[in-house]
Amino acid sequence: MKIESLKFEGVTFTHEGQDPIVQNVEFDFPMNEILWVKAEEGAGKSSLLQILAGLQIPQSGKYLINGENVCDMSFEEFLPYRLQIGYSFDYGGLINNRSLFDNLMLPLLYHKVVSPEEAKARVEGLLKEFGAEKFAHDRPAHVPGRIRKLTCLLRALVMRPQILLLDDPSVGLGQDSIYAFVDHVHRLRKEGHCKHVFISSYDEKFMNLFEYQIIHLDEGQLYFQAVDPEKRVVHL
Amino acid sequence: MTSLLAQIDSLGRFVTKNVEYTVRVFLMVYLSLRAAILDKAQGFRQIVGVLSSQIYFTGWQALPLISVLALGVGSVMILQSLSNLTLLGGTQMIGSFLIVMILREAGPLLVALVVIARSGTAVASEIGNMRANREIEALESMGINPLSFIVFPRVVGGVLSVLGLAFYFNAIALIGGFLVTRFFQDMSLTFYTDSLMKAFAKEDVLIFFLKNGFSGMIIFVVSCYQGLSVKRSPHEVPQVTTQAVVNSIIFVVIFNLMVSALFYLNQLRSLGVV
Repeated sequence: MKIESLKFEGVTFTHEGQDPIVQNVEFDFPMNEILWVKAEEGAGKSSLLQILAGLQIPQSGKYLINGENVCDMSFEEFLPYRLQIGYSFDYGGLINNRSLFDNLMLPLLYHKVVSPEEAKARVEGLLKEFGAEKFAHDRPAHVPGRIRKLTCLLRALVMRPQILLLDDPSVGLGQDSIYAFVDHVHRLRKEGHCKHVFISSYDEKFMNLFEYQIIHLDEGQLYFQAVDPEKRVVHL
Repeated sequence: MTSLLAQIDSLGRFVTKNVEYTVRVFLMVYLSLRAAILDKAQGFRQIVGVLSSQIYFTGWQALPLISVLALGVGSVMILQSLSNLTLLGGTQMIGSFLIVMILREAGPLLVALVVIARSGTAVASEIGNMRANREIEALESMGINPLSFIVFPRVVGGVLSVLGLAFYFNAIALIGGFLVTRFFQDMSLTFYTDSLMKAFAKEDVLIFFLKNGFSGMIIFVVSCYQGLSVKRSPHEVPQVTTQAVVNSIIFVVIFNLMVSALFYLNQLRSLGVV
């Protein structure tokens, strides 16, 4: 299944007892872009990414993927879309009673996306590329925080999705891991994966490693800001 | 008048809250069953993996505790019933007495209490921690339904474990208890087993499966539900674990009482007493 459009039609989402994250939003998300989701602290960037991932259901309005409203879909109906979405949490999210290797293998084996041998080769390759192979068979609680964060990011990539949603990806990563991760995302995009990337981050240096466009989340509304790569101010 | 209205209001809230809780728990059972059936990706191996570890932790690892408890309860019941029945001249009734006391009443309740204490708490806190650590959301983001991946195998594994433990408890209490009390009484094994076999009826099989099967279901469904009710923070985990224990005990005791009451009412009805 090819993801061709993502659209909000009158979407409103509120956490209980709080101000709305998005309120009656009409927004056609630009496709085939790396989108930097910017907002003030606590404005709801993570919630917005979770709505896009189908992990939060808006209270009203329609979230359309390829023109189909996914808000009304059951877990099983949404599954084909979900398998095309890679989501990485800002913290936590690894399955604690499984090793890092098993965490990465889980979606591949569960959905039988590739053969077990190919899944093993893919995961081992990823861990080797990021220098995390010596922690492969440790559980998340027994490895440094940097490796946990890295594994969480790699798990979002392991299925080679079309949509990649990264919540504060650079926080807690070492500089080497950041460069390796950005290179990996660029390579996947060249191979035709991760076409639509959404990144919420405060790290301008990290974001400047991408050619991004900006989405502002401000007072419950979304605004698109085109960024000309030629005129971009890069602070390295 | 105001006080009466306040009491009615409070009663209404209590009833509504409990009805809502029960409906939510049943909804979770339905959804996890539905998810397990509809989940085409979840292979037999995945289910067996979680199921077997649940049976290992709930069933196998509880065997030493159940053995001690069964031997103790069995021995005490045999000694007490023997001493009292001998005084009344009804030693041949020992089989009926033990079947009623151990197999029908004490066994299901004690096994359920052990399982609540060991596994109900473990399941509620494990799932609660998974919730707080966002593992549940992570599973969803990977397209893995937590209800079919986490809840369903735990409930099925729990029910099978409780049935196995209850069978083991009854066997150890009735046979092991007799062997322990051989030091204090001189009843022959043949007389004892004959008395047990005569007392054993097909209703006992029904009661065994009904009480133990549903107790297992109640414990694991309630524990999973409480675990999943954690919102975000790890500080909620001990609270939901305590709630899981309290609710499981209340529901199991009420269920056991209802089955016993219905069974004995039916017996009285068939005898023409009521």
